[in-house]
Amino acid sequence: MFGLRPWFEWVDAFPSSVALRESLYGYPALLTAHVLSMCLFAGLVVMMDLRLVGIGNLKTPISQIQKRLFPWQMVGMVGSAITGGLLFWGQPMRYYGKALYWTKIILMILAGINALYFHLTTYKSVKAWDSDPVPPPAARWAGYLGLFLWASVVAFGRLTAYDWFTYR
Amino acid sequence: MNLQQFFMSLEALPISNFIRSSAWIGAMINVAHIICLVLLFGSVLIVDLRLLGGGLTRQPVAQVAREARPWMIAALIAMALTGIPQVLSTAMKQYYSPFFWQKMEFLLVAVIYTFTLKWRITMADEARVGRFWSALVALGSIALWTGAAINARMIGLLS
Repeated sequence: MFGLRPWFEWVDAFPSSVALRESLYGYPALLTAHVLSMCLFAGLVVMMDLRLVGIGNLKTPISQIQKRLFPWQMVGMVGSAITGGLLFWGQPMRYYGKALYWTKIILMILAGINALYFHLTTYKSVKAWDSDPVPPPAARWAGYLGLFLWASVVAFGRLTAYDWFTYR
Repeated sequence: MNLQQFFMSLEALPISNFIRSSAWIGAMINVAHIICLVLLFGSVLIVDLRLLGGGLTRQPVAQVAREARPWMIAALIAMALTGIPQVLSTAMKQYYSPFFWQKMEFLLVAVIYTFTLKWRITMADEARVGRFWSALVALGSIALWTGAAINARMIGLLS
């Protein structure tokens, strides 16, 4: 894939990579930490998106949800990124040809773009609709898209455990 | 019929055989279960963070808890609906896994704790409860739900 195979094989041969994938408890511990940090991150993102869509946390201003949950979402994201990076480091060749894994990565990038686009455009006028139970259509669409994309990230992340659509 | 025989009969049910007949069915149910777990953690943590003095600090604890409650209940119901078929299709694996039983213990205590002590604390006058007890209840909630999730993950990894 894009001539990247030698790089993946190079990482695969690292003593730390071998130690990680052959560790009896290290790998399950990392995987569990990844799930928990993902629950913190995605769980709070979902709480924010439900408000954006106009079906949850309706008495709380959108700017409050955004500002106050953001630091905790970042704690979860950093935790997910570190544990996810280590999981990848431990088994790079397992993920190399896995279409489901790369789909998850693409969906994560799309979810990030959706969040960034929302903040750079629709969110700028938040003062005008901060306390509205049902935000304007652009905000609702960002919320729907966020819910769909993060649910898909979680789904494809889980499906990565299976060897479907894996190419060697 | 003892418990072991009961689990054997669960595994022999037509619905259990149907779920096992294709890896995709079990995988899709599991995916739905994990998505519900994310919703559950979101609705639990938004309240726990508030009790710890973080998150939505400009909103009263009772308001945060009231708004999160329907989502938590929906997530719990959906988790039960997606969890039961998984137990049915792998009943003997679950029966022999110590993590399954530990998960159930954590889950039971977490549900009772959430709907009794934690709910009462969130609905009480914040000034009367005080920061120490609020934080303690939040830490208890996080420990119980995390304990259930860790044991659930271990069923698949170490059983």
